[in-house]
Amino acid sequence: MMRDARLLVDALRNPASVEMLDSGQWTELISIARAESLIGSLAHRVKDVAVPDRVRAVLQDAIEAHDLARQQALWEADCARRALAEYPSKIVLMKGTAYVAANLDAGVGRSIGDLDIMVAREDLPVVEAALLDAGWEWVKPDPYDDQYYREHMHELPPLIHRERDRMIDVHHTILPLTAAPKPDAKAILDDAVRLDNGLYVMAPADMVLHSIAHLFADGDLAGGLRNLWDINLLLRHFSEADENFLAELQSRAQIHGLRVELARALRLAARIYGASLDNIGSVETAISDNLYVRRLLARDGYGRETRKLTRFAFYVRSHWLRMPPLMLARHLWTKWRKGGQQPK
Amino acid sequence: MGEMHQILLKIGPAAFRIASAWRQPLDQLVALYSDYPLLVDQSVDFTVRLEPEKPWRRLLRPSVHIGGDFWLPDAAPLPLTQGLLAAEMGMNLQMALGWRRHLLLHASSVEKDGKALIMTGLSGSGKSTLSAMLAERGWRFMGDEFALLSLDSGQIFPFPRLISLKNEAIGAMQKVVADTRFGPEMKATPKGDIRHLVPPKAAIERMDEPAKPALLLFPRFGHAPELREMGKSEVFVRLTQASTNYVALGEGGFNALTRFVDQVPVKAMDYQSTDQAEEMIHDLWGQLP
Amino acid sequence: MTQKYRAAAQDDLIWHELDSMTLLYHRTSGITHMLADPAPAILEVMEGLSLTAAEIAAQLTARFDIESDIDAENIVIARLEELSGLGLVARVSG
Repeated sequence: MMRDARLLVDALRNPASVEMLDSGQWTELISIARAESLIGSLAHRVKDVAVPDRVRAVLQDAIEAHDLARQQALWEADCARRALAEYPSKIVLMKGTAYVAANLDAGVGRSIGDLDIMVAREDLPVVEAALLDAGWEWVKPDPYDDQYYREHMHELPPLIHRERDRMIDVHHTILPLTAAPKPDAKAILDDAVRLDNGLYVMAPADMVLHSIAHLFADGDLAGGLRNLWDINLLLRHFSEADENFLAELQSRAQIHGLRVELARALRLAARIYGASLDNIGSVETAISDNLYVRRLLARDGYGRETRKLTRFAFYVRSHWLRMPPLMLARHLWTKWRKGGQQPK
Repeated sequence: MGEMHQILLKIGPAAFRIASAWRQPLDQLVALYSDYPLLVDQSVDFTVRLEPEKPWRRLLRPSVHIGGDFWLPDAAPLPLTQGLLAAEMGMNLQMALGWRRHLLLHASSVEKDGKALIMTGLSGSGKSTLSAMLAERGWRFMGDEFALLSLDSGQIFPFPRLISLKNEAIGAMQKVVADTRFGPEMKATPKGDIRHLVPPKAAIERMDEPAKPALLLFPRFGHAPELREMGKSEVFVRLTQASTNYVALGEGGFNALTRFVDQVPVKAMDYQSTDQAEEMIHDLWGQLP
Repeated sequence: MTQKYRAAAQDDLIWHELDSMTLLYHRTSGITHMLADPAPAILEVMEGLSLTAAEIAAQLTARFDIESDIDAENIVIARLEELSGLGLVARVSG
């Protein structure tokens, strides 16, 4: 029985290797891949490899399910575009929707949840009004949460469309305002690239750095393997297309205050997914890298999250990264008093 | 991490790995599914996980959280005494959220002369009980939870799991079926008193044989016996509401369901006893082309 | 009003008549719509063309037996706004 997610990582790195798997290992691989939201990516990676019949059916299902997710994501983006037809400034797609809209490898087989868009901070009220007018509604009517989001977080409180039942998250920067790194939101918007339909995606370096920011500074590494796989594919695609890409990535990281995170992401992508990049800079493994790898691979052959102590450490740390300690205490206290979520 | 036990099950076209922190639900499944094909050395479509709700709930007032490859965030836990129910619900959840190879209709189905009778409706409509009764009266049981509609052929495929009997239906079936075919009594579950019934051997042996859908019924228990026509628009809407994967199947789902609604005669059937229902069904069946 | 409208391409739509309603599967969105008259007729009239609401109303009045005192144009405008919210119709600029 697999004790960690190595089976999945190996299959993604080296698709031909799955020909050696027995049926029990396939069952585990499928559970791990589903738990890490990577089954669509896995299915595409092993499309041309010989697999047992039932496995082929499972993987084909995954491909079709992710095709549907892609279709729905693009439609949702189009609905937002139409709702914001009068808004003159840039609407920048983010994350999975951006990858499929820009036809990137990272979008192939990608599971996509809500629609994430980024606009200029001063335009939030007018964007909010247009969305509400076009059939979106607030998800949570909680006044404390609302206040917290508006003043501190990097996005409007979540909105859901009343008929289509799909959520939209409207961001004005890529990290919470209370987090330590201060990315340059204006630079991201200024350099965003236009798509044919009039929506925008981030410039390549910003796209990679957003994914990196999301992986480390904005979460407890839940879904980290999927996030790192995105980063791996984006790095490969952009560095193959442009020999100056890695240099651009470094200078952009400087602007956004994400140099440490970039270096760590490059080391982890190399170590876990075998990303080989020239000019990676220092490849000295930081001691903390081992802890990150341990956390990223913490999934067993049943699909359960393992290594609970490591996970809790990351959860508290992620809240720490998002807000200063005093605020954290106050925030957690209020949440627990109201019977809200406890850290798992 | 706690130790997990596991078994493999094949039901109709779907294969499951049921993993559990406790042996008891698996032992119960093995006993009740003993006539089903034995899966060894085969991969599966889904994994169901039965785990303690909290680590200390493994032994002390053990509480089962239902999870698996596909899961819902707010699934309420069940006591270990209802572990068998948890396993069945876990399998339902995997199918409902993850099955794509057929259009799923929340319906029971039985077969006679190569043709399928499909019964759909809300909880309490009696579709499960009717299918169990008809299975003892000359019909082949195909399923009581999901009817599987093929996107290509328009045929109905069996998914013959343990039949889930509730409250009064338990007593009614105990009068006509041997005790050995019943699972444990589970009282006061979220859905009332429940007992599982193993389908007849013939249903299990023929679990891979489809049938052409010939009649769709919307049964309603507890009303004076009556048959009513239903408009096709209403039928279509109600079937999309009764299908967990209609949207996920896109154009294929649309074509399969419109063809089904066009071709399959439909009636709303009110009844007060299974005998009344059986009589109305017999008459309708005889009038089919 | 001189605003022109255009319907989604015909090969983007799959129609299916039921008794009182018309089903419409919209391929791009994957959404199934259930439409009541006159929405299906409006979409049919618009096929492949950019038309104003008045032009559509005139076509409907000509093709179907519509009472002359009905303000067809305003009804058409209302339906077009709904259809446009659903993404089945787009306003044409210029």
